[in-house]
Amino acid sequence: MNNNSAKATLQSILQTIYPFLVIGVIWEVSVQLNWMPSSNLSSPSIILQRFIDVAFMDGILWKHFLSSFTRLVIGFSLASVLGLITGALLSMQPLLNKMFEPVINLLVSVPTIAWVPVLLITMGLGDKTVITTIFLGSYFVIVYNTMRGIEIVDKNIINAAHSMGVHGTKLFAKVLIPASFLSILTGLRLGLGYAWRALVGGEMLSAMIQWGVGKMIFQARFWNDTATMIVGILIIGFSVILIDQVMINYIEKITVYRWGMVNQVEESNLE
Amino acid sequence: MKVNENNWQRFLAVIPIAVFLVSWEYLAKYQIINAHLFPQPTQIIRSLATLYSKGQPENSELLMHISATLKRLLLSFTFGVIGGILVGCLMSINQKFHSFLNPIISLFMPIPGMALAPLVIVWLGFGDPTIIFLGAISVFFPVVFNTIAGIKSINKQLIRAGQIMGLSQIKIATQIYFPWALVHILNGVRIGLARGWMTIVAVEFIAASNWGIGYMIWNAAEYLRADVVYGGILVLIILYFAIERITIRNLENKTVVRWGLLSQKNG
Repeated sequence: MNNNSAKATLQSILQTIYPFLVIGVIWEVSVQLNWMPSSNLSSPSIILQRFIDVAFMDGILWKHFLSSFTRLVIGFSLASVLGLITGALLSMQPLLNKMFEPVINLLVSVPTIAWVPVLLITMGLGDKTVITTIFLGSYFVIVYNTMRGIEIVDKNIINAAHSMGVHGTKLFAKVLIPASFLSILTGLRLGLGYAWRALVGGEMLSAMIQWGVGKMIFQARFWNDTATMIVGILIIGFSVILIDQVMINYIEKITVYRWGMVNQVEESNLE
Repeated sequence: MKVNENNWQRFLAVIPIAVFLVSWEYLAKYQIINAHLFPQPTQIIRSLATLYSKGQPENSELLMHISATLKRLLLSFTFGVIGGILVGCLMSINQKFHSFLNPIISLFMPIPGMALAPLVIVWLGFGDPTIIFLGAISVFFPVVFNTIAGIKSINKQLIRAGQIMGLSQIKIATQIYFPWALVHILNGVRIGLARGWMTIVAVEFIAASNWGIGYMIWNAAEYLRADVVYGGILVLIILYFAIERITIRNLENKTVVRWGLLSQKNG
């Protein structure tokens, strides 16, 4: 049984990797045989070499990564906390809702990156701008989904809670948040995606920032250093997937799945 | 009664915006906030009007910027949607194709278009090719993803029913698969439009030559022309709303909503 599942895991890993291997080999060969100019696209071996250089020899990759990650964490946690609170407030107070829902709808549709020039002018060219961009990128979508989530909670559940004497904060924490958590998670997930976009854009455009994966890619442009660019791009891709898959899936598992709010179709199929 | 309520709601919705704009106007007017960084809203409108009348009637500057951006959006949107639907259909038909492309798409989908910009600039240079290429990529991924999801989610009973009633393969594809998947595809197209729009504006910041709303905003920011920056953002908001209404809403209402596959939200 155990052996079988190990085999299945190995197979699925192989299945994920082989397209990259195929493309990598074709790419390497075509660069080596000069079908593609290596000045425009470094071969995989050079990219790997560059990755080892920046990751293990001088380690600047981690410095870039760490400063990006710090910004992301600060901006995104601020946005999540404030977004949840705002969303909850807007959904509980009909008057506030009527007043501010159109504003939120309007602001959701502003491309996050459009805030950057405004922030560069008003907040300077440094960290503050990037963190605020991340915040703005993820805040509105979290507000929006929290609001929607709480609005569609079954009124019977709320009435039942009321008749059992659950009101106010307790109602909120024990009933409304769990009941709308699926939608909240969607908001958080979307927000995280937007936060990454905002992070990369903000880092590229803020002149006073020295460290950050976005900056690393942007600076490589001045030397036409495609290897470093591709290392940066892949790092971003893998970190997004990793955070999304590991962190949010974990939260999903310990919350909505455990509470039985989602049909565990895939898992029941496996058994 | 109903009309009254709607008016009341509209009135409530306008309050925060009006309060915000009016207080901004007067705070800036009396220099309580820095009018260079936060120019009065009337000033913003005025500078938009100036931009519009500059080079009138043929080459109004504002309209040139707008049309450059819209042209890029239209091209990348067309390439992205057509490519996305084609690849999505191929991937749902052929399992080998699917298992080959799926990991690649999963890796590249979350990468922001902006991150690819420096690399693409090396290949295609500054200007339209780079912007359109990156825009098309941003449109492409959500469309592929949702096309596959749509085709996968089809109710097998419908196909069996179709077969029993003697539909040919092509008819099953066009009359059952296509309408069913269209709800998902349109959803993907909408996400793609939003993403493509964001990417195009972002890439215009760093890779545009001379025209485009993104270029206009960025250029204004470098000269500390805050009024033009805010004006540009206003234009972006209005344009996006108009585009979304005209294209996707319209298409949805004419197809999936009319077919009853999607109930219309809030009238």
